[in-house]
Amino acid sequence: MSYVTASRLTRRYDLSDPWFIRMIAGRKTNVLTAVNQVSFSIEKGTTYALVGESGSGKSTIAKMLAGVLTPSQGSIEIDGQDFNNPGLNNANKKLLRQRVQMVFQSPYASLNPRWKIGDILLEPINAFNLIEDKASRHKRVIELLEQVGMSAHDQMKYPHEFSGGQRQRISIARALACHPELIICDEPTSALDVSVQAQVLNLLKDLQNENTLTYLFISHDLAVISNMADKIGVLKDGELVEEGKTSDLLANPQHAYTKMLLAAAPDIGAYIS
Amino acid sequence: MMDDKDMQTPLLQINQLTVTLKKRQALFKAVDNLSLTVNKGEILGLVGESGAGKSMVGSAIMGLIDKPLFISSGEIYFKQRRIDINAQPFRGAEISMIFQDPLVSLNPLRTIGSQLVETIRTHIPLSKSEALERAKRLLEEVGIDPARINAYPHTFSGGMRQRVVIALALAPEPSLIIADEPTTALDVSVQAQILDLLKQLCKDRGTSIILITHDMGVIADTTNRVAVLYSGRLAEIGKTYDVLKNPCHPYTKGLVAATPQINGASLKNKLFQIPGSMPDLNSIPAGCAFYPRCSQAVSRCEGERPALFDNRTACWLFDKGAKPK
Repeated sequence: MSYVTASRLTRRYDLSDPWFIRMIAGRKTNVLTAVNQVSFSIEKGTTYALVGESGSGKSTIAKMLAGVLTPSQGSIEIDGQDFNNPGLNNANKKLLRQRVQMVFQSPYASLNPRWKIGDILLEPINAFNLIEDKASRHKRVIELLEQVGMSAHDQMKYPHEFSGGQRQRISIARALACHPELIICDEPTSALDVSVQAQVLNLLKDLQNENTLTYLFISHDLAVISNMADKIGVLKDGELVEEGKTSDLLANPQHAYTKMLLAAAPDIGAYIS
Repeated sequence: MMDDKDMQTPLLQINQLTVTLKKRQALFKAVDNLSLTVNKGEILGLVGESGAGKSMVGSAIMGLIDKPLFISSGEIYFKQRRIDINAQPFRGAEISMIFQDPLVSLNPLRTIGSQLVETIRTHIPLSKSEALERAKRLLEEVGIDPARINAYPHTFSGGMRQRVVIALALAPEPSLIIADEPTTALDVSVQAQILDLLKQLCKDRGTSIILITHDMGVIADTTNRVAVLYSGRLAEIGKTYDVLKNPCHPYTKGLVAATPQINGASLKNKLFQIPGSMPDLNSIPAGCAFYPRCSQAVSRCEGERPALFDNRTACWLFDKGAKPK
């Protein structure tokens, strides 16, 4: 059984004018379908990548998976449980929320500039009441920092004292704080330099192997995806146009859109060989 | 691409340019003793990590260096004439610049037509209607329907906006365009279109382009020659294919190896990572700036700064004259 199963996932946004204005001006309702009937599944311990251009619905799917947005139709099951199941009580919802964490695109915007790193890492631990004892909470923060290749005294610093790559490490440590099983990485390296990008991607791979993490990896960079994902889903205008194992899909793309994406992606591998 | 002969004529020559930052009475070098040439009709890539001084070089050429930075030494020759470091009006006409974010570089309150006409008439003495005609031709050239000349910037998508910015840059008919990360804010497919457009302009008009980017893939797709910068110094320069295929400098090697490539086989292997990070301006090592992160460093790297050997790379490993290895 797959760890994550999304079936016929749909999300619509109502962009209409208010009712009264519609009546006066005689306008119709205007509904945008951001994600349309998308189904996919992710096996435990593997990486599934969603690729597509801006506006293709990648981040909307990520938010629905994290339980931040409610799907208009369809369902998502994470290890057999659904956020939007009315039968799910609050305690179970909280447990599920603890198992799904997110790493965001911009490490400059996703860390509170007024909080010390130690406090940022403590927040998820406190929110889920994971550790009662103050001393062991403190120990856990140091352990998290070391896990992402940073040192214990960094917890006293503020986000602005770190470079982009280090901040992204902190974001990853925060995501790891509550022992998640699924991490949603929404363009985690697009704000970083190549050399730093390599460090962050390798870190994500190491963490996956050590902790059997499942990743949903969102990116528009096919080169990054080909290095990270076991399976790729190609999104276009909210629809999944093609899906397959990474090696198959890259070697033998079927849909015209996938071919176009592959042709457009700059690749030094093809250039130097 | 242009003939090789045309590409031998230097259009822009930078000699030993140093840009210094003055902070609390201390001086730091943001660009250090950099020499470059840009030939006619060629695309030169400037690549490096953030903070390597790529954009600073572009600003220095445009005369946009402002306090607390200043150009402390060096000369810039444009078409064999030395240009005064502070003469801005000249540069707008002969050298123009494309910035990263097209939303910021266009005025949101004015139509693209009026912005184009203004730019054209600043540099070329034309009547309003002539300038309007010219603006329409420019839009056509960059692939925008001239009927949209009275549209406002917000009605265009990101890629279209960047095309408008390119039209603006072309308006004074410059012989050199400095494109500072022109496609970083765009999608891959749009990026490919914009890069193709720039290549086409080079070919049709013989315009030279300095393309500043941190994306090795873009460098591979677009440029004729590439210069790799590290801590404001030139690490390596050469034909793009040579540099990417057989990088000399350990830093270039690292950058190439760290860039993910599109093939399914790479999934299980880890990417190469360069240990550490680029030094701050106040702690650049005395010898080779890359020395602390370099895996092939020899003893003299620490104290002595390498010159550019073979017109290719600033690395002691390529110093043939001095020592047998």
